[in-house]
Amino acid sequence: MSDCHLGYQKQESLQKIELNVFETAVSECIKRKIDFILIPGDLFHGNIPEMRVQKFAFKQFRRLYESRIPVYVVYGSHDFSPISNSVIDLLTEVGYLIKVSKQKDAPGNKIVLEFVQDPKTKAKIFGLPGLSAGKELEYYEKLDRKSLEKEEGFKIFLFHSGINELKTKAVAESDFMPISLLPKGFDYYAGGHVHNYSLQEYKDYKKIAYPGTIFAGYHSDLEDSAKGTKRGFILVEFDTKIRKVEFVPIEKVQYKIIEYNANGKKSTSVNLDLLSEIKRFDPEDKIIIIKTWGELISGKTTEIDFTKISEELKEKGAIEVLINRNSLSSKEYSITPASGKNKEEIEINVFKENIGQIKIGKKKLQGTLGVKLAKSLLHELRQSQLVNENKIEYQNRIEQNAFKILGIEIENDS
Amino acid sequence: MMNLDVVGQIVAGEFGSILVREKGGKKLELGDLLISREVNASLILQVFDLVYGSQIPRETHELMSGINLEKMPVNTEIFEPELRNYVLAKVRALAYLNKSANSTKVNLPKILPSFFNEIQLVNKEDLDFLSKDEDSFFVGKIRSGSKVLDADVWLPTKDVFSHHVLIPATTGRGKSNLVKTILWNLLPTKKVGALVLDAHDEYYGRHGLGLKDHNEAKDRLVYYTPSNPPAGANVLTINLQSLKPDHFRGIVTLTEPQEQAIRIYFREFKGDWISAVIQERPTQNPKEVAPITLAILKRIFRLTLGLDLDEDGNVISFNQVFDAGTRGQTVADDIVKDIEDGKIVILDTSRLVDEAELIVGNVIASRIFDRYQNYKVRGQLDRKPIVTIVVEEAPRVIGEDVLKNQNSNIYSIIAKEGRKFNIGLTAITQLTSVIPRTILANMNTKIILGNEMVQERQAIIASASQDLSKDDRNIASLDKGEAIISSIFVPFAIPIKIPLFEDLVKNQNEPKRNIKTKVF
Repeated sequence: MSDCHLGYQKQESLQKIELNVFETAVSECIKRKIDFILIPGDLFHGNIPEMRVQKFAFKQFRRLYESRIPVYVVYGSHDFSPISNSVIDLLTEVGYLIKVSKQKDAPGNKIVLEFVQDPKTKAKIFGLPGLSAGKELEYYEKLDRKSLEKEEGFKIFLFHSGINELKTKAVAESDFMPISLLPKGFDYYAGGHVHNYSLQEYKDYKKIAYPGTIFAGYHSDLEDSAKGTKRGFILVEFDTKIRKVEFVPIEKVQYKIIEYNANGKKSTSVNLDLLSEIKRFDPEDKIIIIKTWGELISGKTTEIDFTKISEELKEKGAIEVLINRNSLSSKEYSITPASGKNKEEIEINVFKENIGQIKIGKKKLQGTLGVKLAKSLLHELRQSQLVNENKIEYQNRIEQNAFKILGIEIENDS
Repeated sequence: MMNLDVVGQIVAGEFGSILVREKGGKKLELGDLLISREVNASLILQVFDLVYGSQIPRETHELMSGINLEKMPVNTEIFEPELRNYVLAKVRALAYLNKSANSTKVNLPKILPSFFNEIQLVNKEDLDFLSKDEDSFFVGKIRSGSKVLDADVWLPTKDVFSHHVLIPATTGRGKSNLVKTILWNLLPTKKVGALVLDAHDEYYGRHGLGLKDHNEAKDRLVYYTPSNPPAGANVLTINLQSLKPDHFRGIVTLTEPQEQAIRIYFREFKGDWISAVIQERPTQNPKEVAPITLAILKRIFRLTLGLDLDEDGNVISFNQVFDAGTRGQTVADDIVKDIEDGKIVILDTSRLVDEAELIVGNVIASRIFDRYQNYKVRGQLDRKPIVTIVVEEAPRVIGEDVLKNQNSNIYSIIAKEGRKFNIGLTAITQLTSVIPRTILANMNTKIILGNEMVQERQAIIASASQDLSKDDRNIASLDKGEAIISSIFVPFAIPIKIPLFEDLVKNQNEPKRNIKTKVF
């Protein structure tokens, strides 16, 4: 299974489902007495998730450990740590997980991997982790493929990257890597990072499998689920070669999605339409997703009362209501694009051209002062997390600096 | 005191054909660049012909030769032979250089050099006006006859590629070397994105040295090949959903019923239209398309795209390039994205028939063209790199016959209108004479390699940006790796020597030593 993204969900109702789904998957594995589990990355949504998630994870992996089911993992793009500071490393330390991204000490620049052999099945498992922003590409470019290809026996390769040749329109914008960077001739390629199930064969690459996420790692996963995408894990039967590959769905929740094209409509009309639409179905025990897009011909996007819509649905028993209005804009308040010789110039010009639209009393948010403030704020919000900084420290640092720029003093509760 | 640098002296002639008497032993060559130093200025001259000159009448020479050959016992030695018999070089002025303290202004020559002026061979310092610009790419060294001067020739990158490039060359004159050299020098710059249809799989370097050996190839070069891609390269698979009827226009000859049939199938089956034709699925109104038309279309797709049916009735591809399933859905978009990032994208089309190669190119070129048209409307064109599409055997798409008998295709559209949208063609051809003049006139840079065919030389000369009327012999005698650049972006037709690609690879700086990478 892959891309579990434990700790991703912010709403309590969805957190429960997230953990429930994982627990079901673990129970299923124990019930079926499987020989081992592969998790090719993003088991967690961050390298150090909240304590409740860690406690839960320890409990589940202990169940697997006591059932003598080894779990082989690699880091993913979300849960990796360059200094082994990930909860994955804690779980590895106590023996609940086994990291398979093992590098041999070898001369030269090449990355020579060594395998982990599963004691029961004798399968040889190699793996490379994912890193943020696709930086794991460097691993593959330096990978000594020949040594892996020469290895005899039943071989599995764990990896956390998308493959260009297998891209679909849904992930067209993503930067993946070419299939030629994978070592050839393995019996099974266990892939992570791609959140929808796929099983493909290519010349020299027998089975490239992505189980997809078991619940969600991005908001768009919930939308896809609402539109019918199945979530679950892959069951593989093999001896000296693969005999069967089966997708096992885990269905723990129902969805309802409302997709509304607001292009050319007034904000008041959209409001009425949505309020009317939500009365047409029973939202009880469902996750409701409302997706709106388009350019309103009049009114502001904030005039659409999504809060009221959400409350009404929850009163009728909806588990959770998720609103996606990222692509919703208003003609009266649209961003005018601007040109410039470089990114800096374009940013300043966009701010300059659009600041006049914002009707606000404070002088320092208007005109040239406003543009300058906006630029400083944007610069600050762009700062990335430092290597030895955890998520909470990072968040606090950014918040403090941002408030400082805005001239806002925060009272310290302690 | 005699100046040892002097190679000749102006003795006669007229504008366009000045006669220079060669100094004994200097052995002037066709194409030699000479310089006549004037007051505060210089004239660059080029030898375009060599003739014998003599103080002795020709008949006397013939008589003396006859006596020699027939072994008659008469002394036929010529008195002071170096004075009486000599070589006359016919030269023409290429450029008038007006030197000031800080710079050299280059103009077209409008005067004759001073009569009886002593002439020298051009040296590196005389050509310092050919300096490197921030936005230029290296194409070769100045050549004077067969001698190579240590003076680099740089062309303005954006201008040259947005105004189209023609490389007329017959086989064996160094065309591949030239294209590889140009692409090698373009690789590090992000100013030009290139789509290269590599019909002989010779540019990437799968089996030897190639563009893959550039230090920046990892980030700036993308290679697609249908099978067995080397590590880091991509599999070239185009999903059939990416192909539309327009992509066949001007490339595959279709009758009107056939054109109508494909439009009907496209309308009805949308992205699945090609599979529907091959599977002979009936349309809603079967009478719209005659069975014979459908059968012929099926045959056309089999021959051009390599598509057929397997035993289960599924569409399969013999050349493994086109896919009727889910593969290759985003390949065309990925290629366009890379080109817009200023990368060089090479498509190995060596396994495809001509039409398939051009259709694949069409799919991508059309997308780029549409996007760049859009950028222009939105005022964003200047933020994007110039795009060039490198096509071999260009008459297949911009030849007179093709354009007369079929509709225009994306390549001819780009040749005529691409400049407005910063998209250019780099067209390689053995047959310039079959390309219409209207298109040739738009190709503002011609890198002319050797050509032994008179008709082709005439066509090249007629469409050149400079007066090459005296260069017929010069072009005929260009050796492998020698070229003449005729362009609106150079002050005169520049003779160059293109470096050997293997030397470029060997001479590149050692890549920075990478620190060993630790796997987390």
